[in-house]
Amino acid sequence: MLETVLFSFFALTSVVCALGVVFHRNPVHCALLLVGVLLSLSGLFILLNAQFIAALQVIVYAGAIMVLFLFVLMLLNFRQDPDVLTPGAAKGFGFLFGLLVMVELLWTALSPNGGEGGGLPAAPPLPADFGSPAAIGKILYTTWLFPFEITSILLLVAVVGAVVLAKRKFA
Amino acid sequence: MDLALIIEATVKVLVVLGFTCVSVILIVWMERKVLGHMQDRIGPERVGPFGILQTVADGIKLFMKEDLVPSQADKVLYFLAPALSIITALVAMTVIPWGDSFEFFGRTIMLHITDVNVAVLFLLGTTSMGVYGIVLGGWSSNSKYPLLGGLRSSAQMISYELAQGISIVPIIMMTGSLSLAEIGRAQANMWFIVPQFFAFLIYIICAVAETNRAPFDLAEAESELVAGFHTEFSSMKFALYFLSEYANMMVVSGVAITCFLGAWHGPVLPGPVWFLIKLGFFLFCYIWLRATFPRLRYDQLMSLGWKVLLPASLLNMAVTAVVLVLKG
Repeated sequence: MLETVLFSFFALTSVVCALGVVFHRNPVHCALLLVGVLLSLSGLFILLNAQFIAALQVIVYAGAIMVLFLFVLMLLNFRQDPDVLTPGAAKGFGFLFGLLVMVELLWTALSPNGGEGGGLPAAPPLPADFGSPAAIGKILYTTWLFPFEITSILLLVAVVGAVVLAKRKFA
Repeated sequence: MDLALIIEATVKVLVVLGFTCVSVILIVWMERKVLGHMQDRIGPERVGPFGILQTVADGIKLFMKEDLVPSQADKVLYFLAPALSIITALVAMTVIPWGDSFEFFGRTIMLHITDVNVAVLFLLGTTSMGVYGIVLGGWSSNSKYPLLGGLRSSAQMISYELAQGISIVPIIMMTGSLSLAEIGRAQANMWFIVPQFFAFLIYIICAVAETNRAPFDLAEAESELVAGFHTEFSSMKFALYFLSEYANMMVVSGVAITCFLGAWHGPVLPGPVWFLIKLGFFLFCYIWLRATFPRLRYDQLMSLGWKVLLPASLLNMAVTAVVLVLKG
């Protein structure tokens, strides 16, 4: 019962905030609504027994990345006129990829693979330490070590790229 | 849900909330008194014995003041920002243990409001959300000095949050737990400040920077930015910022005590008393720092955070990991 109430609350807030991100005119308000989305997603993670992921979601996305977003938005100080941020081509691509994700999600949700009367298969019972930092660490450094390392190298490349771009002298 | 649990939780929440509000009044008085004596003055002495009611008088004055809202301010965020600031500070307070558990009418009472199993991460999360209160306060005022203050504090808090988080990691590695109560219990025989002195140093430097206190109070540098992010805030909105600054000081001191200074452990006296003594000591050090050090320049602040504290905390973490593995 409580779980249903909480789920509806977090799900509704995340959808409402997400719509706000898209439709709001003021970029700073958009960024804050995105923080709202991230926070309600972290609430959903907690409902799924994934406290560690939920905490990381708040620390990394809501607490660090979005603060940097906000920092840039405040520095540029767009009061209105977010069109500067989204040229026409970006809008087209955004629409295209949004449509792709939508189709993919519908495909997964509607395909009859195992579940009763279509839909997703029933989730297997969770191990006792599911979602604990220790369990995640163990899986990350054994089963998924290779993707993990690849991702970290990818991030390193991005960092180096950012430094190179920022250090470039504009004559 | 069981009634005893609800009563227990309510009592604990009220105790912590009341304690926070009363001790902020005392800390502000202590700050003015200690600063006064350190600067060869007397400090407040007229209102009540030793001027102890000075803060109460100031509080009443703030209640009476006109609540000004700048005409060009972003109204919603202008109201929201101080509230965000104090909410995050108070939420962070819930996971700090101030004593060991004890039996009471057959119930085991834990002396913290809640002990989530990822308490350390929970704390880092709430403190990182605390940035928004300051940043939005600066932005929503729609005025140049607050904006600069808000910008400064967002960059500063992001920079120091990293080193602060990483400086606690060795403690987590040594105890194998993310729960603050567990970390506290693990220090019954030895305080973690002994094996982790460098981590402690890094942590307290970052803690001072995280709370925007001197010598890292660039977000409200009064000689350059009037009052920084809260320039445009008056009356109780200003008071909320004030309250959250001191509540945040208590939170980071509480974490320092729990992670490094043996939490509630100490001889003779009961746990909560030791916790309070240590808390008082930390808050005194805050004031001492403020009276001693000049404010850093902004580039000095950034290079200290990124070029000294962050590599030092990473190195400390690596060394701890190697030692732990070698010891088996």
